[in-house]
Amino acid sequence: MGSAAFEPGVTDVTPAMAIKILIAGGFGVGKTTMVGTISEIRPLHTEELLSDRGIGVDDTSGVESKTTTTVALDFGRITFREGLWLYLFGTPGQDRFWFMWDELAVGALGAVVLADTRRLQECFPAVDYFEQRGLPFVVAVNCFDGARRHDPVKIQRALGLDGVAPIILCDVRDRESVKDVLTSLVTYAVGEPFESPATP
Amino acid sequence: MTGEDPGPLVRLFGLTGGRARPLGEAFDLVAIVTTVSTFYEPSELIPEHLTVLSICRRPTPVADVAAQLKLPLNITRVILGDLRRDGLVTIDRPQPAAQAIDERIYREVLHGLRSL
Repeated sequence: MGSAAFEPGVTDVTPAMAIKILIAGGFGVGKTTMVGTISEIRPLHTEELLSDRGIGVDDTSGVESKTTTTVALDFGRITFREGLWLYLFGTPGQDRFWFMWDELAVGALGAVVLADTRRLQECFPAVDYFEQRGLPFVVAVNCFDGARRHDPVKIQRALGLDGVAPIILCDVRDRESVKDVLTSLVTYAVGEPFESPATP
Repeated sequence: MTGEDPGPLVRLFGLTGGRARPLGEAFDLVAIVTTVSTFYEPSELIPEHLTVLSICRRPTPVADVAAQLKLPLNITRVILGDLRRDGLVTIDRPQPAAQAIDERIYREVLHGLRSL
C-alpha cells in the first residue's frame, strides 16, 4: 500500500552518498584548473580557520606573520543523480597544511597526484603521503604546451612508481582528458572486484 | 600592530559561542546532512541555523552546506553539531569509500563520468 510514500524523499531506498576524490600535487601544477574543467559548478570555495597548530614556517617571505589564518579549500562537484555526487577537493599546496590532508583523505575513494614534467620532484611528497596512508592514487602528468613527447614509462621509472601506481598523461584543461584520469582512478581504486579478469 | 581586522573572526566565533569544535561524534566533509525535524521555535534559532535547515531539506554534504552558508568549515561544523544535538538534523556516519561502493554505484559512477 505504499506506506513509505507519504513523504517525498524517503521513498528512495538508496541512501544519499557523496564520493570524495582528492586532487594533490605541487603548487601551481593545475589542481584548480583540473577541478574547474570537470566540475558542473564553478569550483566552490570554503575556508578552514586555523589556530596556531597548523602554522609552521611560512616561506612566503614578506608576508606578515599572523596568529590566525585561513586555508582556502576549493572543491568541485559532479552530480550523477539526486543522492549520488562526486566531490573533487584540491589539496592545499603548502606542506604546513598536512593536517588538512589527513582530514581530506579519510574516507576518500582515492587521489589524483598531478605532476608537472618540468618539476616532477614536486609531486614526491604527495606520492609518499598517499603511499603511507594506503590510499589508492594515480599520477596524472599534466603535459603543458601539448608536450606529448613524454614517455609515461620513463616518468614512472623516474618517480619510482613501477608497480606502485598507474601513470597517465593528461591535459588538465581538456575535459575528455580529465574524464580519462578520473575513470582510471575509479577503476583502479575500487573496480577490481567488479571487473572480471580478461579471458584469454 | 599588524593592522589585521579582528572583526570577521570575532563575529564568526560569535556564531558558535566561541567554540571551534563541534559537539558529538566527528563527521566528514562529505557526510550527508539531512533536516529531520521542523518542530522548533524559529525565535530560538539564529539565521544561520534556519538557512541550514532549509538547505538540508534535501540531503546535502557538509562541504556544500559550508559553501552555501559562505562560512568557514569549522564554524559550519559547530553549527551542524548544535543542530544535531537538538535533533533537527542527522549527519551520516563517515564510511570508507571502498566499503560503501558496491557494483551498482561503481557502474553508475563510471557511466556518469563517461557521459559527462
